[in-house]
Parts: sequence; structure tokens; C-alpha cells
Amino acid sequence: MVAERVVKDLQALGVDLEEVPYERRGYCFDGRVQREGILGVAEAFDQHGYFIEDVLCVDFVNELELVYHFNHWEDPRRFSIRVRVKPSDPEVPSISSVYPGAGWHEREIHEFFGVRFKGHPNLAFLFLHPEIEAYPLRKGHVPIPEEDRKVLEGRQPEGEEESFWINMGPQHPSTHGVLRLLLKMRGEFIEEIEPILGYMHRMQEKMAEVRTYIQYYPNTARLDYVGPLAFSMCFVGALERCCGVEVPERAQMIRLITLELNRIASHLLWLGTYLLDLGAATPYFFAFDDREAILDILEGLTGSRLTYCYYRIGGVYEDLNDGFLQKVEEFIGRMRKRLKDYDELVTGNAIFIGRTRGVGVLPKEMARRFGVTGPNLRASGVGYDVRISEPYAGYRIFGPEIAVRGGCDCYDRYLVRLDEIRRSLDLLEKAIRRVPEGPSRAERIPKKPPEGDVYFATESPRGEVGIYIVSDGSDRPYRLKWRSPSFSNFVSFTELGRGMLIADAVATLGSLDLVVPEMDR
Amino acid sequence: MREWFRRIYREYFRSDPIQIGLVGILVVLGLILGLSILYLVGKRLFELGLSYWGRDFIRLVLGMGGVLSVVFGNALLLVWVERKVAGHMQFRIGPKEVGPYGLLQSVADAIKLMGKELITPRYVDRPLYLLAPVLIFLPALVTMVVIPFDQHLQVRDISVAVVLILAFGSLTPLSVFMAGWGSVNKYSLLGGMRSISQEIAYEIPMVLSVIPVVMLAGSLSLREIVEAQRIPYILLQPVAFLVYFISAVAETNRTPFDLPEAESELVAGYHVEYSGMRFALFFLAEYTNLFIVCALATTFFLGGYRGPWFPGWVWFFAKTYLLIFVMMWFRWTFPRVRFDQLLNFSWKFLIPLAMINLLVTAGVVKL
Repeated sequence: MVAERVVKDLQALGVDLEEVPYERRGYCFDGRVQREGILGVAEAFDQHGYFIEDVLCVDFVNELELVYHFNHWEDPRRFSIRVRVKPSDPEVPSISSVYPGAGWHEREIHEFFGVRFKGHPNLAFLFLHPEIEAYPLRKGHVPIPEEDRKVLEGRQPEGEEESFWINMGPQHPSTHGVLRLLLKMRGEFIEEIEPILGYMHRMQEKMAEVRTYIQYYPNTARLDYVGPLAFSMCFVGALERCCGVEVPERAQMIRLITLELNRIASHLLWLGTYLLDLGAATPYFFAFDDREAILDILEGLTGSRLTYCYYRIGGVYEDLNDGFLQKVEEFIGRMRKRLKDYDELVTGNAIFIGRTRGVGVLPKEMARRFGVTGPNLRASGVGYDVRISEPYAGYRIFGPEIAVRGGCDCYDRYLVRLDEIRRSLDLLEKAIRRVPEGPSRAERIPKKPPEGDVYFATESPRGEVGIYIVSDGSDRPYRLKWRSPSFSNFVSFTELGRGMLIADAVATLGSLDLVVPEMDR
Repeated sequence: MREWFRRIYREYFRSDPIQIGLVGILVVLGLILGLSILYLVGKRLFELGLSYWGRDFIRLVLGMGGVLSVVFGNALLLVWVERKVAGHMQFRIGPKEVGPYGLLQSVADAIKLMGKELITPRYVDRPLYLLAPVLIFLPALVTMVVIPFDQHLQVRDISVAVVLILAFGSLTPLSVFMAGWGSVNKYSLLGGMRSISQEIAYEIPMVLSVIPVVMLAGSLSLREIVEAQRIPYILLQPVAFLVYFISAVAETNRTPFDLPEAESELVAGYHVEYSGMRFALFFLAEYTNLFIVCALATTFFLGGYRGPWFPGWVWFFAKTYLLIFVMMWFRWTFPRVRFDQLLNFSWKFLIPLAMINLLVTAGVVKL
């Protein structure tokens, strides 16, 4: 297996590696390394085909801990590599030369914690407003030093002859209001992309630190308003994992049904808006009509239409009501018929194929270095799905079939999402016949999680959502970090979009299915 | 009401001295022209009774009035039709509040647009920026003059009408580019440049597809072309009709060829900086152009006003609006093509096709 080989390599590099119980911690190997060694470690992971999942930082007041998560598509056993630095000298070698995706996480850590990354090409502000005075996620008030501020303000965009900078967003119709890209253009060709994020930044991770777990829970659905249940599931699942709560089977199955419904709704919204980006207005209304039916079903169960607060630690809030399963069954029949309409209206359309076939090709290798997950990855020919690799909720009982296509382009990303709707319908059909009887909520739930850290991943409609919680044994998280799938998918666009026509850039950006609030957190 | 007019006056005229000057000059020129024509014609009438010149003059005045009313009425109607068609294609009802079936919705919108403040960005190139919405309207009006709506319902039957139409039709990209350049906005500029290359690319197949019709009819006058169509030319020249219709969609900047104003790429393209009535003029020109290209397609290929049982103008409008409906159908079904695909389609497919068609037609006619 790959993991054993990597373990050998890492031990040779002097990494203090230790196997930990996955059921309790959410990762399999815990490694510690001196900061000088991190670049070598990254290269070792790169050689064995690991992808970068997340880079994050925890402030332990007398020490800053950087945590790198690596995972493998075929052998999904997560490595957690830790580097500790003193706050007085927070300098770490950047691994952006090996994993460009990690470079963006490093940029985020730099502005939130003040960790300087040696050899990073651009450490300018990404999420924060330039007027910020202190590093926001450090414990206590740590003002930004002058020399760091210069780095953060970065370089000013300057035009050369024959090229000019153009602002795409945040009010541009195809960035849907909250994403801003600075594009360096030569005619209609894009030369350089400089994203400016943070228009929807709400400091979710800081909010979590000042609230109890239960108080913070409703926020999880506000991260990604298109597929909120995957985020709720992730939060709830992480707490269940570290507290060791046993969830009844009925609740597991209810979670599966609602998660899949939510996935279909999210893919439908993507379908509508994507075709709107390509200039076709009509499919938007078809898709919203179907999505409406799902929202009605979910409203009947959870009481809300957009930001659900339905899962609880150890189960779900309310048991299924009468007629819910029947409504789902009716919906499955209706949706199957409608998928034929989509095929007739969109899939075979010559203009649509011309706009998306061979456009925005995201090769496997590139997806790995940027940590792309979800349908975008599955359209690049990789069958990686958290529902299979680390089954949670009802997926333990039966998993979905994964839709994989190898075209790597926008058209295959579209096809994969349509396939996923079909597979989800099949899964739902199986699930509604096999909802077991029993309680829908666990009896005993501990008030506080034990000390330690935990990682939990779910498959949102956009890819792998991860949560990393560090608990100090109190009723509030000491540090909570979200691994946002859209962020990892989006940063690949900075390389993907180079040299593209602006029309192709719109098509590609749309095909990545970004939900900006989740990216900004 | 008086307050309202005062506000419009203040906002529209006071804000733009150049515009006042422009309108002033136009009004003075118009007055001089009108008065001298009246003087001359009156003199002639006095001398000859109601002579040939007198009848022609009355016909011209009536015709211009008719053309203007067709232009405005058509735009108001088409906006409503477009929204209704779109609505019904998308499981919606479309406008329904103002008037029966929402018929007065576009009138309400027009009044709203008139009442809106005209915003002139500070750094625009003023003459170009202000002239563009006026100029875009000119070719639309001129073309309308020569279209035969019925056997005798035509303002002017000019012997070189086809040439006139094509010449004035190629003025549109000029004003679009003026708007794009004069707005001093990068998105507008990209839209304007797209417009130029698009209109040039599609002007050529359009001309090439009209020539076989002219050869068959043996005349450049529109009425004679219609009169020559014992069988509609669409049956004799199906290829030419297809080429013409596709080029027409591109010429009017409608989906799938709406690249100069591609909403999701260039925001609104060349008219991104225009507001209020100036924006409405672009809008009006778009719908007038839509009507004109369809009316010309009717004239060239569908037998114009010819048809059994009903009066000619009924046939004419029925055929024209059928074609307009087809264009709307396109718009609400297709996504937008990419720019290089658009140009390739014209230069590598439409133009050779039209050329071959032209050669074949020439051969057959000569035989």
C-alpha cells in the first residue's frame, strides 16, 4: 500500500510518526517534523501521489502549530503533519513550489496568524480588508508589524503596453455578486488572474471560538447555502466522532436521504446558473422548478428551506413525518422524467458542446497539486468520493455508485453532475425502502468533547468538506477550521484560466461550481 | 405633470450642453428644411392645383409619420411579445399586471425610462458618447422608407433600394463602436470591438445571399422583387434564405450571437454606461432592426405582401412576425457561441456556402 511506503520515506526524513486510531481522530498517521524538514516531507508526499487536503494553523499561545493534511485517492488514509514554531520567529519554508494549492492556504494563514512563509511568491491580503490592525485568529491582540504590512499590501497591478487590467466582479453577472477577480488582459485573452476574496467573509472560525458548540451549530448551514446539510453533517459528525456517540440506524438513514436530496438541489441550482453564464436563460427556470420541489419536501421535514438546522449530535431533530417518504418517491419519478428534458434541451446542443468541450481542461496531476475534489475531480477521471472512502451517515450501510468521466473539461463536469443526480435518485430509491424502525436520536450525549483534536470529512455537492476541531475540554472549540471544497477548487482556476479567452474563463469558472460564502467562510 | 416635465427638462437638457446644442441644431435645420419645402410645395400647389409634386409631398409626410408609428408601435409590441414568449417557454406567465394580459407593460416601461436620470460618466468622450444612441437609430429609419408593406403601401419605391438598405445597414456597427469607444469603459470597448468584427463578418454572407434574389428578379427595387415572386424565392433559394436568416440573427446581435452585449461576459457590452432614455434608444434600435431584417427576409424570400384571401399588409405582417417569433425561439433556447466560433462559422462556412449558391444560381439564370 502507498501509505506504508510513504511512512518509510517519512521516517527516513526524520519525521516523528505515530499511528492513531482513525475512529477517534479522523486521521491515521500523526507526524511531527522540524520546520526545515517540511519541504522535504511535501516532496515525499508528492512523489507518492498524495494530494494536499488542507493547511491550517493553531495558536497555542506559546507556540504556533501548522498542520498539513495529506491524503491519497486510492489509499485514503489521512496524514496529519505538524510543524511547531515560536511566535517570536514565525517563519516556515513554503511548500507552494511543490503544491501550488497549499500556497493559497499559506497565504490565508499568513494574514490570519502572521506566519511568514519563506519562498512564497505572493503573500498579499486575500480575505481581509487592508485596514485590519491585528492578526485576527491569534489568541490575544497581536498587531501586524510594519514589515509584514508591506508584504500584505503586496504589489499594485500595473499595466504594460498592449495589456490592461480589468475588474471582473464583485458586481459582474457571472461572478454572482461576491467574487472579485483582477484579470490582466491582452485583447480578449487573460494573462494573469489575481483573485480578491473576502466579500462574504464573516470570520466563521473566530465566531466558533467564542460560542459553545451548540450555539455555533446553526452557523454551519450558513457557510454553503446551496448544500448546507453536508456542512451540518460535518460538524455534527466530528463531535460524534470525538465523543464516541453511537447514532441509531434510523437517524443515519434519514441523514442519507436528506443529504442526497440536498445534493440534487445543489446540482440543479448549479445547472441553471451555469447555463445562464453560457447565455441560455431557459434551463435556469427548469432547474429552479425542480429545485423548488425538493425545497418543499425538505421544508416539510426540517421547517426551513435554505439554511437547515436539522441534525443534532447523536441523531436528527425530529423523526420523519407522515408522507415524507411518499413525497420523496413522487419526486424521484418526476425528476427522472425531467432529466430527459435536460438531455434534450442541453446535453446534445451543438453550441453548448462547442462552448464546453475541450475548454478548461483540468488534468489529474493539476487537480492533485491543488487539492481539487468532488465532481470536478471525478470529471478528471478520479473516482475519489468521501462517501465511499470514509463512509459516514447511511453510506456505511450502502454507498453510492460513483460517476466518473475522463474528459477533464467543462462538458464532462456537466455530465458528471447530471450522472450524480441520476445516481442520487437511485440511492434515494433504495434508501426510502430501507428506513429501519427505531429511535431517531441517541439517548446519552456528553456535554463537552474530550481534550484533543479531530478531523471529519463529508462529501458536499462541491467536494470534500473537512472540519478540524481542537478541543481543550471546555464547551467551546479552541480552534475550528473548515476545509472548504470551493476554495481548493477555485484556486486551481488561477492556473487553469491563464491564456484563456474571457468567454472560456466564464465557462470554466461556472463549471467549477463555486459557492463563495463557503470559500470566504 | 408639470413638475414631471420640468424635472425631465432639467435632467435631460440642463445636464448636457452638447446635447442641447445638438438638438438645437437639428431642430433649426429641420425647421429650415420643412419651411422651405412647404414654401416650394405651396408655390407649386398654388400654380398647378394638386399636381404630381403635391401628391408626392403628402405621401412623404404621411409615410414618415407612418414609419415612425410603425417603429415605436413595433418596439412596444415586440418588448411585450418577447417577454410573453420567454415567459411561456420558461413555465412563467410573463407580464400580466399592467393592462389586459400585461399589454401596457412596455408603455409603462417606456415612461419609466423617460423619467429616469441620464447619467453621463465624467471621463466619457462626450461627442461620441452622446451621438451614438441618436446615430444608431438613423439606418433603421431610412431602411423603413423603402419596405413595401403592401402593393401601394410604401413610402418610396427607389430603384436601387437593395443597395440603399445594405449601405445603411452597415452604419449600425459604426454607432455601436462609437458607443463602445466613447464610454471609456473596458467592457464597452471589448463589446464595441466585438461588434465591428462580427458585423463585418456577417455583412458579407448577407450580401452574398441577397444577390441571387436580385438576379432572379432582375431588379434592385423591392417592390419589383416582390412582384417577380410568383413562387416565393424560399423554394427556389432555400440555401440563400438560410444564410440570410443566420446572418440576420448575427446582424441584430441576438442570442446565440449576442456577443457585443454578452451579459455574462461583458456585463452589457457597449451600452454598459448608458442609462435612461439613451439606453432606451439602443433598445428601440435593437427591436427596430429585428423588425427590419425580418421584413426584408419576408420581402426577399417569402413573397412579401403576396398571398391569397387576405389583404397584402396582413400577409406581410404575419410573415414578418412569424420570422421574429422564430428568432425569439432561438434566443430562449440556445446558449451563446464563443467569439472565435462565431467568426469561423461565418468565414469558413457561411461565406463559401453563399458563394457556391451564388455561382450555381448565376449558372442557372444564364442558361
